Amino acid sequence: MKENTSFFKKPAVQTILASILCAVLGIVLGYIILLCMNPAHATEGMVAILKNFFKFSGKPQQLMYYLGSTLVKAVPVILCSEAILFAYKAGLFNIGAAGQYTVGILASLYTSLALGWNWFFCLLAAVCAGALWGAICGFFKAFCNVNEVIAGIMLNWISLYICNIVLGNETCMNTTKSETYDIAAKNPSGILPGFLQGVFGNNQYMTIAVPITVIVAVVILVILSKTTFGYELKATGHNKDAAKYAGMNAKRNIILTLVISGAISGLAASLYYLTSIEHYKIASSVPGMGFSGIAVAFLGGLHPIGAIVAGLFVEYITLGGQYLNTNYFNPQVADLMIAIIIYLCGFVLFFKTIINKPKKVQKSNAEADKNASAKKEVQR
Amino acid sequence: MKKRLFAVLMAATMVASLVACGSTETPATTEEAPATEAPATTEAAPAADNTEAPATEAAADLKIAMITDSGDITDMSFNQTTYEASDAFAKANGLEFQYYKPTEDSDEARTAAFNNAVADGYNVVVVPGYLFAGMIASVADANPEVTIIALDVSQGDFEGAGMTELPSNVCSFTYQEELAGYMAGYAVVKEGYKKLGFLGGMAVPAVVRYGYGFVQGADAAATELGIASDVEVNYVYGGQFFGDEAVTATMDTWYSNGTEIVFACGGGIFTSAGEAAKKVDGKVVGVDVDQSGTIDGLYGEGVCVTSAMKGLAATVNATLTDVVAGNWAAHAGKIENLGIVSGDDPSLNYVQLPTETWSMTNFTVDDYKALVKSMADGYVTVDSNIDVQPTTAIKVTTFDNIH
Amino acid sequence: MDDYVIEMLHITKEFPGIIANDDITLQLKKGEIHALLGENGAGKSTLMSVLFGLYTPEKGVIKKDGKEVTIKNPNDATDLGIGMVHQHFMLVDIFSVLDNIILGAEPSKFGFLTKKEAKKKVLALSDKYNLKVDPDALIEDITVGMQQRVEILKMLYRDNDILIFDEPTAVLTPQEIDELMKIMKNLAAEGKSILFITHKLNEIMEVADRCTILRRGKYIGTVNVAETTKEELSSMMVGRDVKFAVDKEEAKPGKEILRVENVCVKSKIHQNDSVHNVSFNVREGEIVCIAGIDGNGQTEFIGALTGLDDISSGTIKFMGDDITHKSIRYKNTHGMSHVPEDRHKHGLVLDYTLEENMILQRYFEPEFSKNGFIKKNEMREYSDKLTEDFDVRSGRGAQTIVRSMSGGNQQKAIIAREMDRDHKLLVAVQPTRGLDVGAIEYIHKEIVKQRDEGCAILLVSLELDEVMNLSDRILVMHDGEIAGEVDPKNTTLQELGLYMSGAKHDERKEVFK
Repeated sequence: MKENTSFFKKPAVQTILASILCAVLGIVLGYIILLCMNPAHATEGMVAILKNFFKFSGKPQQLMYYLGSTLVKAVPVILCSEAILFAYKAGLFNIGAAGQYTVGILASLYTSLALGWNWFFCLLAAVCAGALWGAICGFFKAFCNVNEVIAGIMLNWISLYICNIVLGNETCMNTTKSETYDIAAKNPSGILPGFLQGVFGNNQYMTIAVPITVIVAVVILVILSKTTFGYELKATGHNKDAAKYAGMNAKRNIILTLVISGAISGLAASLYYLTSIEHYKIASSVPGMGFSGIAVAFLGGLHPIGAIVAGLFVEYITLGGQYLNTNYFNPQVADLMIAIIIYLCGFVLFFKTIINKPKKVQKSNAEADKNASAKKEVQR
Repeated sequence: MKKRLFAVLMAATMVASLVACGSTETPATTEEAPATEAPATTEAAPAADNTEAPATEAAADLKIAMITDSGDITDMSFNQTTYEASDAFAKANGLEFQYYKPTEDSDEARTAAFNNAVADGYNVVVVPGYLFAGMIASVADANPEVTIIALDVSQGDFEGAGMTELPSNVCSFTYQEELAGYMAGYAVVKEGYKKLGFLGGMAVPAVVRYGYGFVQGADAAATELGIASDVEVNYVYGGQFFGDEAVTATMDTWYSNGTEIVFACGGGIFTSAGEAAKKVDGKVVGVDVDQSGTIDGLYGEGVCVTSAMKGLAATVNATLTDVVAGNWAAHAGKIENLGIVSGDDPSLNYVQLPTETWSMTNFTVDDYKALVKSMADGYVTVDSNIDVQPTTAIKVTTFDNIH
Repeated sequence: MDDYVIEMLHITKEFPGIIANDDITLQLKKGEIHALLGENGAGKSTLMSVLFGLYTPEKGVIKKDGKEVTIKNPNDATDLGIGMVHQHFMLVDIFSVLDNIILGAEPSKFGFLTKKEAKKKVLALSDKYNLKVDPDALIEDITVGMQQRVEILKMLYRDNDILIFDEPTAVLTPQEIDELMKIMKNLAAEGKSILFITHKLNEIMEVADRCTILRRGKYIGTVNVAETTKEELSSMMVGRDVKFAVDKEEAKPGKEILRVENVCVKSKIHQNDSVHNVSFNVREGEIVCIAGIDGNGQTEFIGALTGLDDISSGTIKFMGDDITHKSIRYKNTHGMSHVPEDRHKHGLVLDYTLEENMILQRYFEPEFSKNGFIKKNEMREYSDKLTEDFDVRSGRGAQTIVRSMSGGNQQKAIIAREMDRDHKLLVAVQPTRGLDVGAIEYIHKEIVKQRDEGCAILLVSLELDEVMNLSDRILVMHDGEIAGEVDPKNTTLQELGLYMSGAKHDERKEVFK
């Protein structure tokens, strides 16, 4: 009956290890790319990326400012990954997070710029819009058995075009700049309240978005691990037949899950755009935030708190690209490298399998061999 | 509170120095500058000293950086010209040069790029494009030791970003694009083209000025020739600074409906016009720089008839030369609107047609010189209003933006 | 000694914390049928995995025809002429029999399939061993017994002469089992050597020449079947004497609990009903068993009864309450317990811990939740109580991930959960499938105990021994209908077999008791 409880065999430890391995491998691969491009300055380039905003360490105020900026910019990707992992726990792959994020942009900017609402109601509007978008996806899944991935992708494009049309309107769009108006100028009440801006070098984008993100992550963690609702969702996610057998209402849960996931995506958009750090521009593709969120969710080991760490890492690396010396590397190299690092983040499960390999292979072989597998022997 | 007080004092200093320099119109010297500013605040003085007194410093202490706007330095247009001019200048003068590409198209990212450049020790920053107004507003005062040379950022842009006056470490240059557009429109009609097209990028002021100038020039030439009823202009904005299938499709329609020549005006959008032109032996007019090499190279010899140029490279070169030579004060805090400065030698002007790659036969270089002369002498005036489309005798058909 | 085709000598295979095979020796003679007997987890599958090169043993050697060989992977095993009929067939449903047989060993010329010759060979083999297989039929159209013969043909087609049958009778009717036994004898007579893995003693007694017994990873012994008895074999296997018959008193049925009238269920695959006009009742204090060959509508009927599937017509009354279209949750909370047929698909959330599975239908009840939060302590205590009462063994107690538990303990956990719930009706579908003798004995005892406490029990089983031993009434299902009702005391296995195969069909006069 002795279970092997070696430190490295604990699932949580393995998940963390796999994530770290992914990140490290991504960085190594990025370094190799730099080496190919310009061997003489590769190390210097990598150091610049990793050193990141710490290059401002001589100026504490700027250092804190850019620390703040990194936090602010990590907010949407973290929340998108929370949305994705939440749905994932319930067995749903919410690739529609990108679209829910887009309608979140639409709702928050329209209510702010065209209607002049207070930030709180703009935020609420974005949450509702995201939730609605998730609900549509969930409705199709629950009642028409349309795969949520297909419905999600379709809705992504629909949201993009609606967003382009509505925000392209002159009440929202500054046509000379081809981007939406600055909320700070047009509707000061629409800007999120600041949060410790003094600490973060008077960073005007540092708002309550950051603490809200942490709160959302904790709430998700609590819902998933402590509540009956989380219990149902995870049961459905692991084994929907068993959930049905247990009398859980699968249809309701599917819709509810996607509504919540959509609401979080919508919240992600509003918490970003309502800081006015970025303005919406007519785009020909769906904002990538929802997709980066997938990688971040996996890198974070599908854990709400892990997603925060992973999101910060991804944003840190993403922002690090600009510190490459353009005399040696053109900015596309940075983009490529970062894309590869993020891409590798999605391989966490793969690495987890590799870490587990000796045991896993035996297991699967045994299972293929016969239903009474080696596991049972281990048990006895 | 302390910080705010400091900022107010700084602003006061800047205004003081601006007034001082603007009124005297003489190059500031090391002796003069601190004298003017000393009463304002002692803190600001050393900072201003750096800005105002490059003459005493070795040129080697200058490090030149450039920040790209939403495009990249390979856009075969605005960014590229600025980059190449700055790079060439830096190499010629043995100065360090690097360009920075912001991570996103936002003020925040441009500001981050600026701070990054400053942290790397760069103290002369060239920023091409009206998008930089917001960035300049947020960094200029905080970095008085850094010289910022802005291109194409107008008074209106600065006001939109909340700046009424430029600090003394900033200067900006705008161009009378309508003059260049006028020359191009006038030239192609005189050359014999009757079905014209204008394909703008986004409807930003510079592009609009080019377009309206082009229409006015075409109108004037047609009226002179007495063929106003025969000349037509199709007018559209692509809504973006790059070509794609949708833009190309519109261009295809134009060319197949008889359009002979299109003024492709906006970053990389010329690729769509070029592609469409190539299929039907159409012609293209380039923009900003002499694009004949680029366009002919991509779409065949002779596709690019001429280009409506503005002297970006010349501006960058001249301004950097002044900075190195200690003549910064001539520009400090000013927005200079550049256009025709010489009626006799068009090559000195900041708006031109390229005479070195001249391909037109009916409208010759001499005709061009005569046109410039009459423009310089005020016989020809071009309306720079961008709010209303100019009224013309020729027929102008405006299409909805493509994107 | 020379007549051994395969010898596995002193095989030892260890896993972290456990020795799965401890110095095991197995010698297979040419042309014999050799049974390998042991409970679940005795080490049979590990030993076979070693033979197939899936595991490398720490100690011991494998000899083929007296020469030592190393088997590193299944391909090596195939090259040595070793083939296996898996318990779960490895067939492609939408392929023909022939295609399945040649799959992986396709005869080809210049890259094109040459099926004609393959077909000839298959037909010849089929004739030789009397396998009666139509090469052109699709797998999905043929019976389970025929599918198994396809598996056998697959081995023969590859000229394997050492054949391993892994619990081959689990899925067959008594008639099909008889036929399989004949085929196995035929094969042995033709010189093939057969290794027969099972825990069914009757089959060993009938067909095997010798039998090797394993218990808890240890080699217990090899006996000549002719010189032994069932009782001796079972005590060697379990390590103690086992009772085959279930001790139970005469049932004392009380009032009606479940009443099923004319229930029909539409088939998902074809036009006809998969359950047609089924009517019966179950009273408190009796065990009613639905017997039948797998796939005759039992699964669909239970689905309709419990709510997992839709019912198309008919009514189901439970303690007088019409529950025909009530939700699963309603049934769960109103006294119906259900031990599902497929414990992995329905019965458990394998990635949940044991304690979480223990409250699968009850997590929302005030006992386990408050304001939407799960009461972790109560859940833990409840789980500990059940695991102790029902002797569910697991590595880390309540926090064990159920996936890592053995099948028997998983099943025990389900039984514990379902029996402890407040219920008047226990629907138990194949409650002992895949379990070893000891566990079966335990579960049977529990079911009888429930009956004696006044619970109504509806049992669905494919195991005829279980059906005969446990039930008070037997309903035989064939082709979606109740083919007949028999009294276990007055019937024989043969008669049951006739009902099951559809050869006998009664018009039932009195359907409700």
